[in-house]
Amino acid sequence: MSEAIQLAPVEEPRRYPPGDLAIWIFILAELAVFAIFFSGYAFARLNNVELFNEYQQLLDRRSAFINTLALITSSFFVVRAVAAIREGDSRVCVRWLLAALLMGGIFLLVKAAEYAHHLGQGVTLSTNTFYMFYLSLTFFHFMHVIMGMVILGAVAWKAHQGGYSATEHTGVETGASYWHMVDLVWLILFPLVYVMH
Amino acid sequence: MAMQKRIILGLRACTWVWIIMMLLSLATYVIGQQGLSGLRISLLVLAFALVKGQLVATYFMGLGQVRGFWRWPVTLWLLIPGGLISTAFILAD
Repeated sequence: MSEAIQLAPVEEPRRYPPGDLAIWIFILAELAVFAIFFSGYAFARLNNVELFNEYQQLLDRRSAFINTLALITSSFFVVRAVAAIREGDSRVCVRWLLAALLMGGIFLLVKAAEYAHHLGQGVTLSTNTFYMFYLSLTFFHFMHVIMGMVILGAVAWKAHQGGYSATEHTGVETGASYWHMVDLVWLILFPLVYVMH
Repeated sequence: MAMQKRIILGLRACTWVWIIMMLLSLATYVIGQQGLSGLRISLLVLAFALVKGQLVATYFMGLGQVRGFWRWPVTLWLLIPGGLISTAFILAD
């Protein structure tokens, strides 16, 4: 084995994903809805290429980039939280979860500022097809971020109360799985709505 | 449960995944800021996103450790809308 790569005992293959299986059914349903949204955006653009390209340039790409970094980083923090509770360290788990929540808060603030800017300019769902997709798609995701933060907050509180251990931490994995789904959706949304033209 | 902790060049595997995703996001942002456009650029940017999505599924969601049915739905989710988005952009070109 190379000295640069050290392999500690790795989890054995498992049949089911981490967390409660019910959350995975929910995650797949949510992903299906977003897949329809994304495809709808792409095919609506097909008939309005110039309009989509023109109004896409008016979006704040820097804010979207900051939000991308915030969500990726929050997901990484959640991975560390799960790793900590698997080692039975509730205190470290809570710290990572709070750090993830902070990143989620940054996402909400930046996105809210973006919405305030658009609304201040009189942009609404009925302004044009591009804004209809932009506002509905990003707001739908925005609501999922809020939902994810509520779940992570509840998990952090229970971890703080000592409700999880190295042997029983399904709740942490369940909350983590949902949060990664929120991140996953944004990873497609960012290039599709803000960059690709 | 055995801990999944792989150390590569002094960093956990998940830290490397985070760094790679940050770099791919930066590349996407720079492409956008440079005003680069066209089918190839769009497909490249989409490919970056799909790679990041698969990294999240495999390393963050932990699906890399799953064998059987549950390993694949997220990958399929990436491929189906990814394919439809690609098709729409190719038709629009």
